[in-house]
Amino acid sequence: MTYHRKLVAGILAALVVFTFAFSLSAGQYDLSFVQVAAWFCHQLGLPVLEDVQISAQQEAVLMFIRSPRTLVGFMVGAGLAASGTILQGLFSNPLADPGIIGVSSGATVGAVLAITLGVNAVNMFAMPAFAFVGAIAAVLITIGLASRNGRIPVLTLLLSGVVVGMLLGAITAAMLVVMDEYKLQQYLFWTVGSLDYRRWEHVLMGIGPITLGIGIMLLMARHLNILALGEAEAKAVGMPVGRYRLILLLVSAMTTATSVCISGSIGFVGLIIPHMMRMLVGPNHKYLLPASIVAGGVFLLFCDSLGRVLIEKHEVNVGIMTAFLGTPYFLYLLRKNSNLDK
Amino acid sequence: MKTIIQVNDVTVGYDKGERILHDLNFSIQAGDFVGIIGKNGAGKSTLLKSMRGFLPFDKGEILLADRRVQDYSQRELARKIAYLQQQVELTFDYTVRDMVMAGRYPYKKWWQQQGDEDDRIIEACMKYTDVLDMAERPIRALSGGQRQRVLLAKVLAQQTPVLFLDEPAAGLDLFYQEQIFRFCRELSARGKTVVMVVHELNLADRYCSRLMLLKQGNVLADAAPQQVLTDELLSAGYGTAIHARRNLETGHADIYTEELPLTSAKRELLDTIIGVDYQKGGEAL
Repeated sequence: MTYHRKLVAGILAALVVFTFAFSLSAGQYDLSFVQVAAWFCHQLGLPVLEDVQISAQQEAVLMFIRSPRTLVGFMVGAGLAASGTILQGLFSNPLADPGIIGVSSGATVGAVLAITLGVNAVNMFAMPAFAFVGAIAAVLITIGLASRNGRIPVLTLLLSGVVVGMLLGAITAAMLVVMDEYKLQQYLFWTVGSLDYRRWEHVLMGIGPITLGIGIMLLMARHLNILALGEAEAKAVGMPVGRYRLILLLVSAMTTATSVCISGSIGFVGLIIPHMMRMLVGPNHKYLLPASIVAGGVFLLFCDSLGRVLIEKHEVNVGIMTAFLGTPYFLYLLRKNSNLDK
Repeated sequence: MKTIIQVNDVTVGYDKGERILHDLNFSIQAGDFVGIIGKNGAGKSTLLKSMRGFLPFDKGEILLADRRVQDYSQRELARKIAYLQQQVELTFDYTVRDMVMAGRYPYKKWWQQQGDEDDRIIEACMKYTDVLDMAERPIRALSGGQRQRVLLAKVLAQQTPVLFLDEPAAGLDLFYQEQIFRFCRELSARGKTVVMVVHELNLADRYCSRLMLLKQGNVLADAAPQQVLTDELLSAGYGTAIHARRNLETGHADIYTEELPLTSAKRELLDTIIGVDYQKGGEAL
């Protein structure tokens, strides 16, 4: 690892600590960084900061509201950024993101269906489950439409993704037409993506698939490097391209679907984080993938926390924050390094 | 010499109607440095791709070390034949080291990472093709000659007995062109089999041990360079009058196409292009 990459790793590690502390302390119920640090040390049984007072109420907020929300935020951000990295490498296209293979539109159809049927009011897991099934189904349809004799040509896949996305968008719209206002409100919350009211249940729901997905992706980093050189080069060095494409597509679909299910649809993370990290650590996925995972988690946590303190007594949804913070920075990067045109 | 590639009655067509290669029969011996020559569209790249197993063939069989090409797994094939494409378009800024490391891919199980042995091999390959000092630079920032040497290092890192190179010298300057041929001659002298699609006939004459002249998917000639680079064969192969002479001093081939007479129709075209209003007897711009 070069000095440059070590520096990036160090900065990311520091940012993880900072954003976790920020996320635990930010919100309507004000807590200082020192209190957060003290609470954390007390939880671990460390004999430091023992003189800092934390009320029972504060402790409850930290334990049952802020902690799960923070973990969910980091997981979702990491999952989305990891999937984005995989898809960009897979398609050798720096503009691919998890939305491109139909995951988001599929999840939205599932979620809207759950709202329409009213099952989300019966069980809190119903909507995520519907969304997950919708997302996976959409990806399978997209891949099915694109594959010919065991091959998945990139351009056909991207076009299938667009077509499936349009169709699913139409289905969503059709269901929205017949929805009442209350249900529409719920739909709106879903589409902008939020980490509000995320509990330990959500952490448990997401942690399995997301860690599994990320684990497989990290194992596949070397293969992704080969795929990103283009199909012909990958074949020349003996890679069964179709098989690896399918595995990586399904893994990133699962990871994205899980993320979308527990947080609603959050844009930009899967697109800009891999892009930013590629500019910082280079395109080798051995470094790019871990960097994107950590940066994705940090970015989403930061957006969420900032959204909580920006306007008094109100929360700005994290999906809005990612777009507001992501777009200008992305444009700045594009102007600074016009790598896309080369 | 041991036969490493045996091509029997091979017919290849991209589409059902159109045939690219017709009933080809030949064999390549270990240590041969074969230059495939012929005009554009003669089927040179197609032949190379078919022998590598990239293109299915309609008829016949291709044996690699006495085994049918299609019976090898992708990984096994990549450990027998390394293939240098005509063009490599990169989307991302991979470094020279990343690219050359890709050559080690077929030697790893799917879960294995690269080790010290791989580092040792790729460093040797980069040193040999003289790109080690640019190992950490992005390939897209390199010149054409540097790029080709990087790609050559990559195919060498595959440590295959056979090398297929599709126009490796295209677009390179005089020195780099010849350097590529020198590398290949050195490698074939050490037992590697090199099959190269080539347009630089004078270099092919000096470095290749054998030339195969293709015309419309048929082998028109297949022999030592001196026997293939003749007026008759080249003119027939390229479909235009070609002269091949030997430089008395160097013994190198001097190959050129015969100049066609300037017809009146062509003169009129030139007038239009240059902008002379010839009917009024005007002057060139």
